[in-house]
Amino acid sequence: MKRFQSRRAYVAWPVCGLALAASAAFAQQIPPAPQPAGSGTAPLTMPIPPAGKLVAITNATILTASHGTIEKGTILIRDGKIAEIGTNVPVPAGAVVIDGTGKFVTPGIIDAHSHSSLEGINEGTESVTAMVDIGDAFREDGLTLYRQLAGGVTAANVLHGSANTIGGKNLTVKLKWGLPVDSMRFEKAPPGIKFALGENVRQTNNPAPGRTPRYPRTRMGVEELLRERFTTARDYQAEWAAYNKARSALKKGDAEPIPPRKDLELDALVEVLEGKRLVHAHSYRSDEMLMLLKVARDFGFRVATLQHGLEGYKIADEIAAAGTGVSTFADEWAYKLEAWDAIPFNASLMAERGVKVTVNSDSDERARRLYQDAAKMMHYGNTSEEEALRMITLNAAWQLGIDKYTGSIDVGKDADIAIFTAHPFSPAARVDMTLIDGRLFFDRKTAPTLAALMQLMRRTRAAMGNGGVN
Amino acid sequence: MNVLPTALRRAALGIVCVMPCVAGAQRGTWALTNARIETVTKGVIERGTIVIRDGLIVAVGADVAIPADARIIDLSQRTVSPGLIDLTSTLGLPAPAADGGGRGGGGGRGAAGGAASEPRFTGLDPERVAADELHVSPVDAKATRDAGITAVLVAPGRGALRGLSALVPMHDSVSGTDALRSPVAEHFGFQGAQVGYPQTIMGVIAYQRQSLHDARRHGQVQDRWRTNPRGLVRPDNDPKLQALVPVVRGTLPAFYEASNENEIRRAVSVGKEFGLKFTIVGATEGFKALDALAGHPVVVSVNFPRPALTTGWAYRQSMQHASGDSAAAARETLKAIEGNAAALNKAGIRFALASGGSRPGEFVANVRKAVAAGLPADIALQALTIRAAELTGLSEALGSIEVGKIANLVVTEGGGVLADGAKVRTVFVDGERYEIAPSAGASSTGEKLP
Repeated sequence: MKRFQSRRAYVAWPVCGLALAASAAFAQQIPPAPQPAGSGTAPLTMPIPPAGKLVAITNATILTASHGTIEKGTILIRDGKIAEIGTNVPVPAGAVVIDGTGKFVTPGIIDAHSHSSLEGINEGTESVTAMVDIGDAFREDGLTLYRQLAGGVTAANVLHGSANTIGGKNLTVKLKWGLPVDSMRFEKAPPGIKFALGENVRQTNNPAPGRTPRYPRTRMGVEELLRERFTTARDYQAEWAAYNKARSALKKGDAEPIPPRKDLELDALVEVLEGKRLVHAHSYRSDEMLMLLKVARDFGFRVATLQHGLEGYKIADEIAAAGTGVSTFADEWAYKLEAWDAIPFNASLMAERGVKVTVNSDSDERARRLYQDAAKMMHYGNTSEEEALRMITLNAAWQLGIDKYTGSIDVGKDADIAIFTAHPFSPAARVDMTLIDGRLFFDRKTAPTLAALMQLMRRTRAAMGNGGVN
Repeated sequence: MNVLPTALRRAALGIVCVMPCVAGAQRGTWALTNARIETVTKGVIERGTIVIRDGLIVAVGADVAIPADARIIDLSQRTVSPGLIDLTSTLGLPAPAADGGGRGGGGGRGAAGGAASEPRFTGLDPERVAADELHVSPVDAKATRDAGITAVLVAPGRGALRGLSALVPMHDSVSGTDALRSPVAEHFGFQGAQVGYPQTIMGVIAYQRQSLHDARRHGQVQDRWRTNPRGLVRPDNDPKLQALVPVVRGTLPAFYEASNENEIRRAVSVGKEFGLKFTIVGATEGFKALDALAGHPVVVSVNFPRPALTTGWAYRQSMQHASGDSAAAARETLKAIEGNAAALNKAGIRFALASGGSRPGEFVANVRKAVAAGLPADIALQALTIRAAELTGLSEALGSIEVGKIANLVVTEGGGVLADGAKVRTVFVDGERYEIAPSAGASSTGEKLP
């Protein structure tokens, strides 16, 4: 409770916000509700301007997430990348200027755990489905993606569900809503895969009636299955290595060796063993997390993230030492047995011990207001403002292996940016604009109704034929 | 040609025609005279003759000698077109077990649980041969033929790996032995199994990819073993893999059912990855994926989805959660949907048109909608005939009115088969004549014996 008492004064914003909301002065700051611009057959303009424009965001409070806050600063964007940042950046002629006066600019928010816009989340039929790829189930036209843009989200880690020990491959996307699915893939993101531990895998809470229970039914069974699969994957890896060696040593006239059977499931696990595929492991309890870290150590790979990691605070040092990140909920405690020991301070405690922590949504609804969930980390656990911001930006980029390209406002990074009407941790804050690669994908002023948007998207894409692949 | 007064001719023909109509098909040597002929491949003959013998077209032209043994059918005021071909049919195949089929039969929910009470449909049957299973009832055949459709490509309608299709002529009683060609293609789709892996779309795609990898290796090992089995572990005689070997080698076409934009992109991506000789079937949102479809053959369904369903759940959600002019949105969408074939044509994509499972009577009506939405009528007719024949590998035998081709023809009154208000009056399948009973008051086909 001490943490609650020692929190800094300005995180008492919830109270201030309520008071302000009632005042006329505050109401003026809120842009008018969007008009049904697309009703009838009135033409709409495509909300996504072409790439490559020079854009300047001027006179704004810039929360960089990497090197503090810049007051009255300017960000210059060239060819979709951040070209200059500072208080004394000249705006070149011809640049599209976004007046940031009174606005707060943050890196685009990255949701480290999403199941948005999918046709099917769990291929839960088998205990191991490493061969399936969530990218094959992702749709570009899920309206939730647009709503998330309205919450400043620019990228997401779209994951397979937690129904089985080893689920499917993940998909890291940029939320370029309105463009075809291939334009949304974060091409430079390293591939990943979903693992899961605990009750969901054991089917404790959702046994399939009338069906033979699926192995494993216990946590020890889960460990056995992981070790068995990775042992098999090692054998498979060796089999291919032997084949490739035999092939390269082939002399003229020798018969071609017959290749081993290509196994899509084991291919993915070999990539994990070789450190080419990031493991994102759904886990709640400290014992199961320690088990997974040990399995990974024994097989020589790193677990990129423990997803949820509700008891991570108990083993923060072990997690930090493994180079593993944790992506947790803001406040989902005791909602089921394995969440019993979850506490509000989890993220803050782990961050203090050097774990790279993120706050994720795991939900289409929460994804729209991740900045509020990040604010709670200051409220609950006295996390610093910048660290809390990192929990939804730079740390998420690090966990997904994309921190070289996005996650903070630094020169050379992709111009993935959210512009807020107030400090993002204020309950009064709303997202005014969201930019991805320097292109405006959400603008509250021109945002039409959702029905109109859907209509617009269909018409535009029909007219463009190829959907404007960039 | 006709010297008999019209009224008398009608009276006489009533007797000649009605009886064989009841009896079914009439075989023989025919001379169809005075007809407007849409050859599809060689233009239109405004007034010409087609001679049919042994089920084949033996002569076509404006000035053709009529053999002495031919029965002459005067087709003044009538148009003859090649018989239509529908590449999306499940006609004559047993219906797959419905969801939950077999449940509750017998033992109930005993301790044994599981297998016996679960639906068994998996759709993972690449070795399934449609020709071995199909039997088209005379009623179905007649309904199809009456719409001017003389051949249909039959394949199981659901599943990830559905089996091998057969192109069958629309005689009154058809089984696999009558097939024009079998197998025509291996049929792919996106439906998961009702029980077991794969159930999701990502599972289905992974399953297809793994199967194609396995088939590729199976073919390699099998070839090696056949050449020299010494020292080699012999490959399994696995019918599922066996069926996919020619597919992954690109010698047997893959027909991949993909309707919405995402499905189309996913199907094209699998087809390209394995170098399949693939055709996209359905493509009702093809206009959104022109870039993906470019350079690949397509079978475009004219079974138009309802506007509210075109972009799937996203659209439905928008209707639930937002205000807006949904009627206008639906009109816009309908325009795009019906303009799909026109958009593909404009983009230079070569396609056949197919019913997409709609009722035979709606097929041509829907094609007319596609024409009204901008598809040139001559392209539409090609897409229903010669282009469909090409996709089955039978363009030398079907799809146009040319000497040497199979006499599958449709005779219409009131313009060509695609003309508004045109009525199908006679259909020839393998040179066998089927009269379509006209509605009361309409004139029947003129015929006289030489």
